[in-house]
Amino acid sequence: MLTLTSDIRTPYHGLRAGVKLAALCGATVGLFWLQSVAAMAGGVAAVTALYLVPGPRFLRDGLRQLKPLWVFVALVIAWHAVMLDAMAGVTIALRLVAAVALANLVTMTTRFDDLIDVVMWLLTPLRRLGLNTVPLGFAIVLVVRFIPVLMDKASKLFDAWRARSARRVGWQVALPITLGAIDDAEHVAEALRARGGLIASQEA
Amino acid sequence: MTVQAVADGSIEIIGVTCCFGSRVALRDLTLTLSERRIGIIGRNGSGKTTLARLVAGLIAPDAGTLHVGGVDVHADRKAAIRKVGILFQNPDHQIIFPTVEEELAFGLRQLGQTKSDARKGAHAMLARFGRENWHDRSVDSLSQGQRHLVCLMAVLAMQPSVILLDEPFSGLDIPTTRALRGYLDSLPAMLVHVTHDPTAISGYDRAIWLDDGRVAGDGPVAEVLERYLAAMEGAGDADADL
Repeated sequence: MLTLTSDIRTPYHGLRAGVKLAALCGATVGLFWLQSVAAMAGGVAAVTALYLVPGPRFLRDGLRQLKPLWVFVALVIAWHAVMLDAMAGVTIALRLVAAVALANLVTMTTRFDDLIDVVMWLLTPLRRLGLNTVPLGFAIVLVVRFIPVLMDKASKLFDAWRARSARRVGWQVALPITLGAIDDAEHVAEALRARGGLIASQEA
Repeated sequence: MTVQAVADGSIEIIGVTCCFGSRVALRDLTLTLSERRIGIIGRNGSGKTTLARLVAGLIAPDAGTLHVGGVDVHADRKAAIRKVGILFQNPDHQIIFPTVEEELAFGLRQLGQTKSDARKGAHAMLARFGRENWHDRSVDSLSQGQRHLVCLMAVLAMQPSVILLDEPFSGLDIPTTRALRGYLDSLPAMLVHVTHDPTAISGYDRAIWLDDGRVAGDGPVAEVLERYLAAMEGAGDADADL
């Protein structure tokens, strides 16, 4: 099963999940304050440095995680070039890369049960109101967990299409991808149920 | 027998029927299972997997009752997860978490253990199989056979008295099958092994042959398998499930 979690041990693994998430929030807000291309390039360089601390292999992994982003980067720059403001486009693109790379860094180096705990802590006010927050907290984490799985499934369907067709992959795969997602959801639900579902889990 | 039937692990199935829409998967099934090693054998679509899912409490019967060690496994999930564990056919359908340790610890937390106890328990289970260095491995980086082993360790960590195996060897090569089989054979827990492959249950205490949702044979493994294989030989290509 595909996951965002990295196998390479990094110093970031030892940090508390809550600290990392708070730093991510702060850094992302900071990125929106930087306005010039030069400042933004500095931001990207800083993020690259963070990735380089565990080593070049980790940086390569990080770059691979960013692959889906390049389309948007190209779009943003192209759009601004058409609007004769390429520099603004470059700034936005750099900001996008830096922000997503930082978010990925947290995901790659944080255990999921720790993330669940942070989410559960953030949901404490709702729990005070009498809401059962366990399913909600779990759902948020499962979304993050299964996005790469769904992307992998989609690319397998594309392969199945290309194996038997010279034409480009068409919109017809949208429904099978959706059905596959529902199927996956049922499997996860069953796996959860087989081990007690959401009962009694995560005592505060 | 009846006195022993309520003992820790035994499975009491009384008049169970299970349907999916208009298709009847199991018809009025009554069985008491208390042997240590039980094989459930049958063709594709004979109701084997449905039976495993019923015993694991994943689905409810449409009629009849089903208890494991006196627990209604579908209604009382909290008690059920202490009684029954299930090893799915496809490990990717079983693994919820991205790293091995979290996957093992999840079940322990479900049993009410604290986070640190659950982590310790996960490490102890990994140590038992000599896989201590797997604890922070991402599940993604493991081979199919290794993922099967992760699933087995996750089930064992919860110490259920009954373990259901749904075609646990499908897709595994011969040495991996042999190793996994060795682990399974050495377990003290009661095993209910669902399979279409007669060789997988050789040496078991009892075999139950399901056909079209009914019991077609029940008894010592050698005897049941002989009749099962004869029936499979007799089935022409026209009967194939294609």
